[in-house]
Amino acid sequence: MNVEFDTHGNVSVVVISGSVDGLTAGDLLSRLQGFVAEGNLLLVANLAGVEYTSSAGLRALLATVKQARRGGGDLRLACINTHVRKVLELSGFTTIMKLFDSVDAAVASYAVSVGP
Amino acid sequence: MARREREAPVTAEFRAGSMRELGGALAFVDQVCAGVEADTALAVRLAIEEAFTNIYKHGYAGGEGPVAVRVDVAPRQIVAILVDEAPAFDPTDAPAPDLDSPWDQRRAGGLGCHLLRQMMDEVKYARRERGNVLTLLKTRA
Repeated sequence: MNVEFDTHGNVSVVVISGSVDGLTAGDLLSRLQGFVAEGNLLLVANLAGVEYTSSAGLRALLATVKQARRGGGDLRLACINTHVRKVLELSGFTTIMKLFDSVDAAVASYAVSVGP
Repeated sequence: MARREREAPVTAEFRAGSMRELGGALAFVDQVCAGVEADTALAVRLAIEEAFTNIYKHGYAGGEGPVAVRVDVAPRQIVAILVDEAPAFDPTDAPAPDLDSPWDQRRAGGLGCHLLRQMMDEVKYARRERGNVLTLLKTRA
């Protein structure tokens, strides 16, 4: 798994690629939490390169979205592959997180509203 | 389906002794399912990851112990069987996860067993004298 941070104005895009599983989710969570703790509260996760996630990845997303929202921001998801979307739907995450078809749409959504 | 019917069934087994071998187990699943359509292979990978993790987390209570993962890839279905020597732990009987709470009250506990059950067409649990046998069945599309 690989994680890279990129800024689009006041929004930070986290480009995640590879497999998010029990081996990699801990690393993803610590990097996301560190990034939010530095004050990057408006986040978009670009998941185009993520083919697979297990419940370990969901725990990392849930912890990060809570941390960002409690600070007044959010974590929004973009470019979600079939398997990952199915896992998010089955787990009830599509009702608490905002999902977008493109990174641009997710970034632009912050111009309209911040928060859950 | 016609081409797939001619494929020889593949059977392989991976033996682990601790949670540290999750990486080896996932690489094993990827290898055995290399010729399987992506959606099915990812569902099987997820079910095996969740089952393997739960055996060490709940069955062995964070400790070590043997787990054998056997995967049979046939033209119409994939069957995975996980055998351990842990105290009883039945993922088919695990409490339902929280799927409805608002975000600030949402908890991630129980999602692994839930996903395992949802992603497979059949999940069977059996308690044996020395451990547990979990059978996962996924029909190929």
